[in-house]
Amino acid sequence: MMRVLVLGADGFVGLRVARALAASDWAVPVVGCRRANAACRLERIVLDATDRADLRQAVIGMDAIVNCVAGDARTIVANADALFHAAADRRIVHMSSMAVYGSAIGMVAEDAPLLPDTNAYAVARVEAEHLAEAAHNVVMLRPGCIYGAGSAQWSRRIADLLTLRRIGDLGANGDGGSNVVHIDDVVAAILSALRTPEVRGPVNLAMPDAPDWNGYFLAFARALGEVPVRRVPGWQLTLDTKGLAIPLKLAEKLTGRLPPPIPPSLARLWRQDIRLDPTRASVALGVQWTPLAVGLAEAAAWLRPRSDA
Amino acid sequence: MTDLPDTPAIAGSVCVVGAGPVGIALALRLAELGRDVVLLEAGGTTHDASKQDAYRGTVTDPALHYPLDEYRERRLGGTSTIWGGRCMPLDPIDFAPRDWIPDSGWPIGPDALAAYYPDANRLCEAGAFAYTLDAAFPDVRKPMIAGFAGQHFTSDTLERFSCPTDFGKRYRDRLAQSPRIRVLLGAAVTHIALNADGTAVTGLSVRTDAGATVPIVAQAYVLATGGLETARLLLASRDVQPSGIGNAHDVVGRYYMCHLAGTIGAFHATGAVWHGYDMAADGSYCRRRLALTAETQTAQRIGNFVARLHHPRIADPAHGASVLSALYLGRMLVPAHYRKRLADEGAGGIATTARHAWNIARDPLAVAGFAKQMLVDRRLAERKFPSVVVAPKNNVYSLDFHAEQEPQPDSRVTLGEDRDAFGMPRLTVDWRYTRGDVTTVQTALALLSDDLARSGCGRFDFDPDMVETEMTRYGAYGGHHIGTARMGDDPRRSVVDKDCRVHGIANLHLAGAAVFPTSSQANPTLTAVALALRLADRLQVGAA
Repeated sequence: MMRVLVLGADGFVGLRVARALAASDWAVPVVGCRRANAACRLERIVLDATDRADLRQAVIGMDAIVNCVAGDARTIVANADALFHAAADRRIVHMSSMAVYGSAIGMVAEDAPLLPDTNAYAVARVEAEHLAEAAHNVVMLRPGCIYGAGSAQWSRRIADLLTLRRIGDLGANGDGGSNVVHIDDVVAAILSALRTPEVRGPVNLAMPDAPDWNGYFLAFARALGEVPVRRVPGWQLTLDTKGLAIPLKLAEKLTGRLPPPIPPSLARLWRQDIRLDPTRASVALGVQWTPLAVGLAEAAAWLRPRSDA
Repeated sequence: MTDLPDTPAIAGSVCVVGAGPVGIALALRLAELGRDVVLLEAGGTTHDASKQDAYRGTVTDPALHYPLDEYRERRLGGTSTIWGGRCMPLDPIDFAPRDWIPDSGWPIGPDALAAYYPDANRLCEAGAFAYTLDAAFPDVRKPMIAGFAGQHFTSDTLERFSCPTDFGKRYRDRLAQSPRIRVLLGAAVTHIALNADGTAVTGLSVRTDAGATVPIVAQAYVLATGGLETARLLLASRDVQPSGIGNAHDVVGRYYMCHLAGTIGAFHATGAVWHGYDMAADGSYCRRRLALTAETQTAQRIGNFVARLHHPRIADPAHGASVLSALYLGRMLVPAHYRKRLADEGAGGIATTARHAWNIARDPLAVAGFAKQMLVDRRLAERKFPSVVVAPKNNVYSLDFHAEQEPQPDSRVTLGEDRDAFGMPRLTVDWRYTRGDVTTVQTALALLSDDLARSGCGRFDFDPDMVETEMTRYGAYGGHHIGTARMGDDPRRSVVDKDCRVHGIANLHLAGAAVFPTSSQANPTLTAVALALRLADRLQVGAA
């Protein structure tokens, strides 16, 4: 049995990976978490994933590591630095992000230049990938927007905004490529990467022929029953982005219950016509992509009890 | 997006002339297919009277056709900057040769466009390509006219509405972002140069805003300049082919068609009627129509025809609708050409005015609701409620019809004596309709009357002798310029082949409604865009 250390296992992707490994007949997950979690039945190590000494200790006896640590820019860089120095030649599946392509447009394959020109997060993601050069056996997954049950960003938040009719048909403001990828496909890619040691380096993760954002919003609105979608005029989105973003963010932090803001970076992403080329994930990792309608139906079912409550 | 540089020649793989909906759709698709595109637009980004002046021309009978600088726009986005947004595909019968309509029949069938319509629909922002009630609204079962079961007409097809999308505004960023597309504004093509034996285009002469003449050289050339300018450009380039390019057999500019439209009659409905809009899941407005079946067109030997239920004559207070009365009394507030139409409905005396006022007094809430709708769903909305829909209290409707116009060579555009600021000859339009066109409308209305009566839906009264008057009250339907460079297999009777390539010229293609051999009942934009997407594929095949 392969012993796999899962870092960031209290997060959306990490938790799903740990469960999938536990359900497998070839791997045993060991979850690395900042806090001891009583509810977690899996074997676990309490550690600080940004601490070199903690990680050197934690990787002892591990065959592979899945790194799902997320957070602010400093955490991402410190985590990468600590992990890649500790890992030696162990297999590492590192969750990076499409953010490494920055403001690139058009079809983007893994050999496209890294362009950390958008924000501090992108800079950190690129730096983390550079730090991976210290290790020898790394596959870096660069997912687009991960949706599905459990996705706060690309399922719950979008559903809330659709329900409020703050988004819908955005016209030119929704022409960007969504590059969505279902959580199940991300988990499958990670598991496949663990068992395919000859695959190294970056791999894009986005469903083939992912819709543009307008198409994603419409398909999701249909699954949620939130149709007809509204054509949101450009001036309204601008007002929402510029005028409401800061007050809503503050209010959300204070109460945790308010409708989500649309920060300018999000509105920018919806316009960015970038298309991740998923060929390598399909061919080298053999990912079978969840059809959009199936994935959205699952996401809508996950959200439904919440809206009934 | 740049103005023309002062370089002697700009080499691009495909040069598309005209940045209206057709040219923009074509350029975007060619770029997707990996072609480099130069997109030339004579206008700028706004309406400019000095540029618009180039469109002025002569109309042989001003009562039958609007001035040539109206209903078209010389600027980025072209006439999509002012269109109404009504979309629907052609019907299969439109492509067929019909022995009762001379010069009918397309060299391609409906299958040739089927693959392109959905993308065209998306570019037009008219939602899904679903044009029947079943396809678009599987759950809506509110009938248009309760109990209607027509022998000659169906009531389950739809027209769908674009925002209406201004292609210039909507796709400006996409054009600018594409590394393969160069848009040149203020670039008016004044001449198409051919090689000595007239088998290929060697370049275009382009006049810039600064007054310089710049040659443009590309591998392939596409005119997407609308039905009038396309004929004008071909006819005006006469140095190699003396009668104009592609005009060896005197076809360019002939067969000019618009549509025959009007409002007529009174339908006294006995049951429930729904003549409003349904909103599709994608947010687009859809409306049902009464469509003449292909079988009846064939049996009756007439053209294609559709009708919509319309509110009754506004001027007659008998409708009882407060909204219509408010529109009537408020007519001094509306734009001049609407006011003219209202005035044409007959002026009212004191008694009429009082009855209108009484209508409003009885239902002021409806007026308030209507005003709110016009403000929120039309003025402020980016997807606009397409028209005024008011249910009359007396359940009496008029009929809005939109009919095919037969192709005939005598209906034509030619070059006149005057010239515009660039020295281009101005156009003369001699638009004509036929007896057959009148018969189409008369017969279709009579059959619709039969259908309604037989279904027990009510009585439709109209005066057959008024059909010709009504269908020409405002002359040719504005903005539909069809057929001036028709598509066909026979070079003696057409201008372009089934790939929209000008007969005998290797690298000159035409896009837009100019190439339609017949006019259908459908508004032409959606089909023109679909045909442009198909042309992009054809050009790709040609280049390979």
